[in-house]
Amino acid sequence: MTSELVQILEGNTFVVSDHGGDIEASATDPTGLFSFDTRFLSTWVLTVDGQRLTALSCDDLQYFKARFFLVPGTSTVYVNATMTVIRQREVADGFHEELRVLNHRDSPVNLRIRIDAASDFADLFEVKDALKKSGQYETRVEHGSLVLGYRRESYFRETWIGSSQPAEIDDKGLSFDVTIPPHGEWATILDVVVSAVTAAAPGTSVAADSRPERPGRSAGRRLARRNMARGLEKWLERAPELRCDWEPLEQIYRRCLTDLAALRFSTLTMPGRSLPAAGLPWFMTIFGRDSIFTSLQALPFTSELAAATLRALAERQGTRIDDFRDEDPGRILHEMRYGELTAFEERPHSPYYGSADATPLFVILLDEYERWTGDTRLVRDLEHAARAALCWIDSYADLQGNGYIAYQRRNATTGLENQCWKDSWDSISYRNGDLPGFPRATCELQGYAYDAKVRGARLARLVWRDDVFAGRLEREAAGLKRRFNKDFWVQDGEYFAVALDQDGQQVDSLTSNIGHLLWSGIVDKSKARKVARHLLGPRLFSGWGVRTLAEGDARYNPIGYHTGAVWPFDNSFIAWGLRRYGFREEAAHIVAGILEAAQVFAGRLPEAFGGYPRDLTRYPVEYPTACSPQAWSTGAPLLLLRVALGLEPEGEHLLVDPALPKRIGHLELLDLPGRWKQIDAFGRGRIDTDRLETLATHAASRSRR
Amino acid sequence: MSRTDREVSATSAERFFAGLAESGHIATFEREWATIRFDILDPDEHAHAQSDKSERWYVTIADGSVSVTRQDRPADAVARVSRPDFEAITSGRLNAQAAVLRGLLTVEGKMAALVMFQRCLPGPPGSKGRVAPISAKAVMAQRRDT
Repeated sequence: MTSELVQILEGNTFVVSDHGGDIEASATDPTGLFSFDTRFLSTWVLTVDGQRLTALSCDDLQYFKARFFLVPGTSTVYVNATMTVIRQREVADGFHEELRVLNHRDSPVNLRIRIDAASDFADLFEVKDALKKSGQYETRVEHGSLVLGYRRESYFRETWIGSSQPAEIDDKGLSFDVTIPPHGEWATILDVVVSAVTAAAPGTSVAADSRPERPGRSAGRRLARRNMARGLEKWLERAPELRCDWEPLEQIYRRCLTDLAALRFSTLTMPGRSLPAAGLPWFMTIFGRDSIFTSLQALPFTSELAAATLRALAERQGTRIDDFRDEDPGRILHEMRYGELTAFEERPHSPYYGSADATPLFVILLDEYERWTGDTRLVRDLEHAARAALCWIDSYADLQGNGYIAYQRRNATTGLENQCWKDSWDSISYRNGDLPGFPRATCELQGYAYDAKVRGARLARLVWRDDVFAGRLEREAAGLKRRFNKDFWVQDGEYFAVALDQDGQQVDSLTSNIGHLLWSGIVDKSKARKVARHLLGPRLFSGWGVRTLAEGDARYNPIGYHTGAVWPFDNSFIAWGLRRYGFREEAAHIVAGILEAAQVFAGRLPEAFGGYPRDLTRYPVEYPTACSPQAWSTGAPLLLLRVALGLEPEGEHLLVDPALPKRIGHLELLDLPGRWKQIDAFGRGRIDTDRLETLATHAASRSRR
Repeated sequence: MSRTDREVSATSAERFFAGLAESGHIATFEREWATIRFDILDPDEHAHAQSDKSERWYVTIADGSVSVTRQDRPADAVARVSRPDFEAITSGRLNAQAAVLRGLLTVEGKMAALVMFQRCLPGPPGSKGRVAPISAKAVMAQRRDT
């Protein structure tokens, strides 16, 4: 059903409509005009002489703009249509719609054109869960606009609807009685502006900078829209240029850049900067984990996402104990929301902190950002934030008192049970399928903690000029690595347990999480080969990528969200980890598998796809999720390009060490930005990724760390 | 509101700002600069935000150091809030961000300044965490200069 809907968006304002541009939402139907996690229009239906229209075609012109071609009537007979209706819609602070009605007769025609409009002002969470609202609705006509309003105590949201042509306005919509000359045209502009005017101080607005302008006449906003289009062009122009023998890769690359552009949004506190939201349209907000992973993936291509993410997360870093929000001092947030349920503290997203990985990942991103950009100023600005994050790891996160990061929610009703990236209820299990209790210490968290300490030490020496702190972090990292390789190592399977349970015992299933451990560098050299062998072995590797849970474990299911499906984002970091330990061919296999899957999905990787063996389905089977594109799936091919070319900043230089799948052939990435200004990277595909069988034995001789 | 009531509640706002001024330095405000004006309104004055009865405070943050004054000066952000809501926010009973979304706390000017400021507000009473709270001092104890 999602594929039939049309989505356009800008920042966290988006419109989801049917193919003809109409919106007819029910309580749980995900269509409408949304802004700041609130639905501002739930009905938007166009009729001509009381008749609905039929869509002939619909063009997604840009991510923020769509055009609909319509004819009156709902029959399938178009041949007699003597009229065409064109709606062109762009997202702004709401949306801007140009409505044109073309008369194809050689006689004039009198028509009643009508837009029905209404809003339920549902919180996004209510749309998902079908909850009842407790405030009052009010409708009025003001300044020639229809104003839809919703009020609950001092919480107040409005939708302003106006037109450039005079309209007859009632509280259910706008009507136009028009005469169109022979072969003539009638047009109007409809402007829908969302507003969060507050009762306490009229004129103060959460969603927009000012009181809504008189709709239909806002040259200022039209200018903003032109800037939006230019912004996209500039974004694409600024990105490094990719040239490649394997044509699909150029398409994949372009798709990634465009989707990443659409996923950018600005917070109210940093109007000029954009950071990546987690996914379209339902996750157009800051998620600590998703924004960090996506920024890491995109770093070789653009560093502005990382800079904005770091600043935004530091700004709202935890500073107190708040059980409702699972907040601790130093903790980096999980998710931020602006809707009614958050406003009334019925949901904890103001922001919610229930994430155990975002905090160490914050330090990792800060260091990686500096390695690429040389921007020590940001590292200095965020010194306190980074220290507080490092402090959190050893204090508030150590719930088992054994020196490992663990999680257990304190908000037992609306908090998150699993606070790692595999956040579904059954994602962490023993081999036999049993679920462990809490607190849980998943393995990849320890890897991130190790990496955060190592990288924090580098920043302490280089930027904060604190050798004592650096030395302490390095000693702690070494100790953590030593203990981890003992405590998490599953002897009879020769891999790392996915977690330690509430008693500190191993949760012994085989999962993709071990790949993240390679990325972090916490794995002893002597164990790395075994880990790599599992990752590319028949239980985990599907032929397209590494499964979240190994075939053979009790909960394995090829279409289980975190219990067997293949996640492109997961694989991009696993491939990075394999390169880190010198497993060039293994990394190339994952690069090839995921990029070939991307080719099947026309360049846009889904969040996850089925873990079926590749030779069974021939095509990757998409896992149905509500959001597309997802930020970290969009970023996956970018990181895979980095991995394939072996791009690694080293001081003021960028090292290039290609390990490319043969299929890719010749690959060039031109004008890679960084502290070296711009550098070109070249590579030629030499690794035969159609053959897998020799990998494990090869790996034995190649482990370099 | 009777005169004595007002004196009692004024004391609590004064106490909050006095506490801020007393701390002098707040680590989480390092490398941050902003002046925020707080207009604290009595409920019956809501309609007249500029009423001379409203209590007006300025908090200036300069690279971690905090000073408080009632002397007029330019501000990066102006926050308006009723006295009961101010007390709820500064005692942790009402989350500042939720108050903004609800229209209980309105901000003119730089939203970023208010978001920064809320980092010094307490959590909800009764929130215990799972580990004994660690003071800002403990974070700072990692540093070379302390």
